Amino acid sequence: MSGQLRSELLKLRTTRTIALLLAAAAALAAFGACVEGLSRTVIELGGENSQRTMLSGGTVGVFFATLAGLLAVTSEFRYGTIRPTLLFEPRRRVVLAAKVVAAALTGVVFGAVCSALSFAAGLALLSVRGADLAVTGPHAAALALGPMVAAALSAVLGVAIGALIRNQAGAIVALAAYAFVVDAALFGAVPAAGRFLPGKAGDAIAGRADESLLAPGLAAVVLLAWTLAFAVAATVRNDRSDV
Amino acid sequence: MATVLTAIELTKHFGDVTAVDGLSFDLEVGSVTGFLGPNGAGKTTTLRMLLGLARPSSGRALVLGRPYVELPRPAAHVGAMLEAADLHPRRTGLDHLRVLAAVAAVPRSRVDEVLALVELSGAARRQAATYSLGMRQRLGLAAALLGDPELLILDEPANGLDPAGVRWLRDFLRAFASEGRTVFVSSHHLAEIAQTVDRAVIIDRGRLVADAPLDQLTDRGAAGLEDVFLELTSAGQA
Repeated sequence: MSGQLRSELLKLRTTRTIALLLAAAAALAAFGACVEGLSRTVIELGGENSQRTMLSGGTVGVFFATLAGLLAVTSEFRYGTIRPTLLFEPRRRVVLAAKVVAAALTGVVFGAVCSALSFAAGLALLSVRGADLAVTGPHAAALALGPMVAAALSAVLGVAIGALIRNQAGAIVALAAYAFVVDAALFGAVPAAGRFLPGKAGDAIAGRADESLLAPGLAAVVLLAWTLAFAVAATVRNDRSDV
Repeated sequence: MATVLTAIELTKHFGDVTAVDGLSFDLEVGSVTGFLGPNGAGKTTTLRMLLGLARPSSGRALVLGRPYVELPRPAAHVGAMLEAADLHPRRTGLDHLRVLAAVAAVPRSRVDEVLALVELSGAARRQAATYSLGMRQRLGLAAALLGDPELLILDEPANGLDPAGVRWLRDFLRAFASEGRTVFVSSHHLAEIAQTVDRAVIIDRGRLVADAPLDQLTDRGAAGLEDVFLELTSAGQA
């Protein structure tokens, strides 16, 4: 297992895909904080909710971590490297488990980098504009630490989605359609149900300010359940399918 | 002679199509066996079943006495390369091997050794996208050799090689077998195969049509093998 895990981590570091995704996520997280921090009046900016929104750039990391997990698996099918991978480690569950752990670690990095940049940009803007930090302890902790948890789980979810769909373009389209259309539409129409969706659970864990969302702890349980369900489905497909 | 690989009634259906149909054969230790058949005869599907990449519809394959997926540290026993070495275009040849070496638990020095062996040391730090087909084949062979295996399974390894590369491969495979190791190599380059192999397993439409030492199949050299091949397989039927 440790050899396979080292191999999976090496795969992620030996193409530019993950580094570019991380750079894009980090830039968007900082950009979001700047837009939020510059577009508000100083009075508005003094309120806790607008500050929580400004500092919630970690949620960008959650989405990009999902994409990273998805690409880590589907690129193996796209380029056929899944064959050498399975020739060297034919126990498919060992390979999938190593990908899950590698993705979770990647997710922690995505969440940490994005929330750190969001905080750095946001706190700098508060200072420049002369507003005081108004986010309370529990909310600050959720914004700082939540993205790491949410991104780790979401990256694993991405691995599972990738292993289920295999086709890279198809998996990206499915993820985008879900994240930008289904998730938003269901939550908008029926928040009481929509907040149990994986995307909204991830937002809640990452500390997004929205009273309709679940509490972070419950949201973590919900996202874990989604991730496990997809991982079981991916394991079944992975065990049976030819490559 | 001891047997290193056994296919027992291997069968694979894809929907209504039977790609491999009740195929049985053995490989003996220290032999170079050619795996021949027209395009679409089921060669690659058979190799994928031998290597645990595809599940047989029925029958089974044993490598060193057990299914490939049950081999502990398979790379130390079996080196395999399937058609058109599977590479990520943005990963360097060196990194492709490092990724696999981590699993095979072989040291970095072994990566450099196999790169030198296939004469790719100079291109090792280039992305695979810049490689010619022949270079991709040689990198695939390097990967197969990483674990210093006793059995090599190669799918069309001579594709894309220049004449010097083809001769190098032939000499390499003969030397590999002369050390008591075993080679199973698919090809439809009959002239080339006739100079390399001791034995030929010929299939057509998924069925075994011949399994014999080369000198029994023909005593007239390459042209003879071609005649035998065309006679035995549907490739020769207009």
